Amino acid sequence: MTGVLAFSVFGVDWQFLKPFVVIGLAFGGVYALSGVGLVVLYRATGVLNVAFGAIGAAGALIAYWMINHTSWPHWLAYAVCVLFGGALNLVYGMIFGPAFARRDPLVKMMGTLGLALILLGVMAWLAPVGGAFARFLPLPTSEHRYTVLSTSVSLTQLIALGLALAITAAVSVFLRVTNLGTAMRALANDREITATLGVPVRRVEAAAWFGSGLACGAAGLILPDLLTSLDYSALTFLVIASLAAALIGRLRSLWWTLFGGIAVGLAQAVLTPYASISQYRSAAPFVLAIVALLFLSRHRVFAIARTAR
Amino acid sequence: MRSKRLGVGVALSAFALAALLTATFAPTSNEANHAIVGAGKASATKSVCGAGTGKKATGKAIKLGGIDMLIPGVDFTTIGKVAKAYFDCVNDNGGIKGRPIKYILYNEQLNPAQEAALARKLVEKDKVVGIVGNTSFAECGTNAKYYQRKGYVVIGAGVQAECYSTPSFAEVNMGPRYSNVGAAQALIRAGIKKLAIASPDTISAYADGGAATLAKKAGIPVKIYPTHLPVTDATSQLIQMYQFAGDGGGILLDFTPDTAPAFMKAAIAQGIVEKVKWGSSTPIANSFMAEQFPQFDGHLWINQEFSNIDPSVGPDTKLMFDVLKKYAPKIAPQAFAQMGFMAGKFATRALMNINSDITAKTYNGAVKGLKNQKTDMLCKPFYVGDLAYHIPNNTDITVDYKDGKVVVKEKCFKIAAVDKAIAQTRVWEKQYKLN
Repeated sequence: MTGVLAFSVFGVDWQFLKPFVVIGLAFGGVYALSGVGLVVLYRATGVLNVAFGAIGAAGALIAYWMINHTSWPHWLAYAVCVLFGGALNLVYGMIFGPAFARRDPLVKMMGTLGLALILLGVMAWLAPVGGAFARFLPLPTSEHRYTVLSTSVSLTQLIALGLALAITAAVSVFLRVTNLGTAMRALANDREITATLGVPVRRVEAAAWFGSGLACGAAGLILPDLLTSLDYSALTFLVIASLAAALIGRLRSLWWTLFGGIAVGLAQAVLTPYASISQYRSAAPFVLAIVALLFLSRHRVFAIARTAR
Repeated sequence: MRSKRLGVGVALSAFALAALLTATFAPTSNEANHAIVGAGKASATKSVCGAGTGKKATGKAIKLGGIDMLIPGVDFTTIGKVAKAYFDCVNDNGGIKGRPIKYILYNEQLNPAQEAALARKLVEKDKVVGIVGNTSFAECGTNAKYYQRKGYVVIGAGVQAECYSTPSFAEVNMGPRYSNVGAAQALIRAGIKKLAIASPDTISAYADGGAATLAKKAGIPVKIYPTHLPVTDATSQLIQMYQFAGDGGGILLDFTPDTAPAFMKAAIAQGIVEKVKWGSSTPIANSFMAEQFPQFDGHLWINQEFSNIDPSVGPDTKLMFDVLKKYAPKIAPQAFAQMGFMAGKFATRALMNINSDITAKTYNGAVKGLKNQKTDMLCKPFYVGDLAYHIPNNTDITVDYKDGKVVVKEKCFKIAAVDKAIAQTRVWEKQYKLN
């Protein structure tokens, strides 16, 4: 079997490449999960939430504190991490959402950037790094390891990918078959007309903020385990890869966002063993997002041209 | 009505979130320690803070200052904070002939403009007589010429090349380059066949260059992995390093306790702890890390630039534990604490040696006059001297983890003279009887 699979990919033996594929799929799952959260919120409210990573990081720090400084059960800490994401997102959305509702998307995004910076400041102030001190938020699932294609895979990695697939599928169905989902899609098309039709706009938006926040909390919980450390600055910048995924999904398509997230994760990890470009792999999200935008804009030109004809 | 209820709900949620955040991060109170630390008469078995009088200094403050780097993934402020703790102890023990030391510590974010501005602020606005406890990836290079022009010699802890190649700095540590060389020496003695080295990308060329040169001279294939901080894919990089080093090979990590754990956790998760020999520079030689990583017991060759961190080692180390407990209770005993303690101790010694007005000129002259400063924290005495550059710390030990503690694996050995500067330093030491 090994002999059959003994081939190289651009000069790197497949045997060496396999662990990076596993890592990339797991990270890609988290990026996709976050990306789907971003897209759902954007479709319903027009807000591109760049505080996504910072909110997840704050939730993870709270879970860390609960596990290490209280006798509360670990599962409660994990639940609080996820719910904190939902709650903080909801609170922000309810307070600032109406004020930003009629503003330009860029202004809306800058509002969330403000939230990200405030959260970063609060985390740096109340939970400083350094001083012979590192934080970890390992999940019990990382203890369970399996061998797939002679490569070690942890249950956390499987959950990261599986959760991304499940959430994408569930949200797609939810948006199509439920009244709330239909209302969210209507909001995405036109907020004013939807409101005139009697749809409770603020409640629908609240659901989007909360649901998106839950995805953010889940990403904040899984990512420290994959990163093998709880570094709030690294978690905060998770949003870059997630934004790339969302852009690949044109801020509309959940399945393309899923694909984008996994592509970004895979690109970042699989480029590692290629010495000449390994150092630049952190640029993968930007490169993929730019390529996607260029491709899509080209596609749009064709579409417009066809319409004109 | 509905929106009113929603508003109340949101307000309550906001309050609950605020309460949760506050409860989560509220600082814990520390017990006050009223014992007089560092008081008494200095002897071979007892170290004291400054004059050790046990009386508070009340005169006009003598100003010293420092600049430490703080960026995501690396916190060097511990060094300045511990230097301050030592000065606080000196101030509670008579100060410098009755005058307290006022220590002004600034943080910088690896920004040369900020580093230059802070150095000028310390010298020209704050009018400090001396600069102590500096540590940064770049500050030595930024300010070496300025300090030289102003006649300042910084006692601190170095990282980059300029800290060890200009007259402006006398570092208590040997820095990552020579510490990595020491770790590589230990790994080569342990029989590795290949060596993979990783350092932060901002210092990698300098920090890893010496160890790479040493390995090449020994006929050992070596590869360097510059690492961008904060680390976002420790597992990928570690697998890459392991694939190069192979079973029985050496992996040398040059990171602070903020970053190294990510790699160590990844090594545990990947099941490769026992498959390679692990080298490291000094920063992870502390009991906090040893307690966190029992899986590494017996598998580490950490170059420790100072003595083992154990109060039984000697009076200075014991005093450091006491000083930390009373004046910096949130800082765990660690290599960075040793650096701050020694920087504070030697700066205090220079101040105490001055028999005239304490000015920038007399203080920095006294710093240059430091010779044979014995401490149980170093293999050989510290010195400064009027030299073109200073590498007073060039002999050290290898340590490992065992049962949650750091234990000595190899006693004091000379760092290999991979650079001419090390060989020249040893010539000066003999020529001027510096230690």
